[in-house]
Amino acid sequence: MSDQDQPDRDDRVLAGEYTLGLLSAEEAAAFEARMVREPELRALYAQWAEDFAGLTDDITPQAPPARVWQQIEAGLFDTRARGSWLRRLTLWGGGLAAAAVLVLAVGLPDLVERGPVPPVDPPYVAQIAAEDGSLVVQAVYDDATGTLFVDREAGGAAPGRALELWLIAGEDAPVSLGVMPQDAQAILRVADDLRGRVAGAVLAISDEPEGGSPTGAPTGDVLAVGPVQES
Amino acid sequence: MTTRADIENLIARVAQGDRAAFKALYGATSAKLFGVTLRVLNDRAEAEEVLQEIYVKVWHNADRYTVNGLSPMTWLITIARNSAVDRLRKLRRAETPAELEERIADDAAGPEALAVAASERGRLVACFEELAAKHAEAVRRAYLEGETYADLAARFDVPLNTMRTWLRRSLLSLRECLTR
Repeated sequence: MSDQDQPDRDDRVLAGEYTLGLLSAEEAAAFEARMVREPELRALYAQWAEDFAGLTDDITPQAPPARVWQQIEAGLFDTRARGSWLRRLTLWGGGLAAAAVLVLAVGLPDLVERGPVPPVDPPYVAQIAAEDGSLVVQAVYDDATGTLFVDREAGGAAPGRALELWLIAGEDAPVSLGVMPQDAQAILRVADDLRGRVAGAVLAISDEPEGGSPTGAPTGDVLAVGPVQES
Repeated sequence: MTTRADIENLIARVAQGDRAAFKALYGATSAKLFGVTLRVLNDRAEAEEVLQEIYVKVWHNADRYTVNGLSPMTWLITIARNSAVDRLRKLRRAETPAELEERIADDAAGPEALAVAASERGRLVACFEELAAKHAEAVRRAYLEGETYADLAARFDVPLNTMRTWLRRSLLSLRECLTR
């Protein structure tokens, strides 16, 4: 195959389209899932990102007004804001929240609740699906509570293996959201520091040893991917 | 002058939760990133809001910076560009077809759209110049204006598939030129 004849089959071109944001949500999700596993693809992406960033060289820097920094600082560090953060935590169980943050921090499976009910009128949805339909998981996400409801409609873990759910936000490395439970329907709690990063991100499911990835990064095949979209 | 090593060091400290480093990073980079968001959004209020979002992302994601292989300014510029384009596309989704027509007609490419980094980025400029002028403009618009294939097809008045072919061939030519 000559590159000139089929430029759209070339990973260099695909990486360029991804960098420009020209791919559909599904194509971008598939590309991101491949990047997780393929260092060469990450390198192609990095090259385009460097080159295109050069297009901003002639943009004149402009000092933003002081209020922008004040608002960033207030939003991230203000003690009153932290008060409301704590109140929100308490609403859905302070102990559970703290535990979830801790296990996520060390890359272990998240806590899972029994008897799940999907959030009413959730702001975000995702269909995490294999290309051949061998694994299909519907997910709905409520960013206000960090509740991620998953419904495994097709497929499951291979014997002696586990399915692990990953959050891939932008150019970042995947972060584990936990091992998919045995039950087809379940609720996973997204840790507070990850909550705001789910919108617009990609969810992916990989094949892992029982108990989940030992390394904190996907080690097996990425079986299914899907973008998180506004419902 | 803040060097690449300085910025990298600041990001590493931000990853440890160092607020003073975060403030220093903001001081060293916010004017550049505000310039980028203003260029993409062309609206000060929107650009200010997006700039806040950008630094919140930087604060939360600094610990993941080292794994992505980008230089520190490219990492920051990419976050800024992508955040601004996301906002722009959200605003555009609310447009009526008439407003879309008007926007595309209004900002027909002026000469300034074609003069990219005339002095510095010699290699990049030279490679863009090897492309047909329209093709080069389409690539630049995709990056700096966040235009989609559909936007570009409408702007250049060509079928969607023609635009895809233009863009993909242009990317291939650019990559080959840039790696020569």
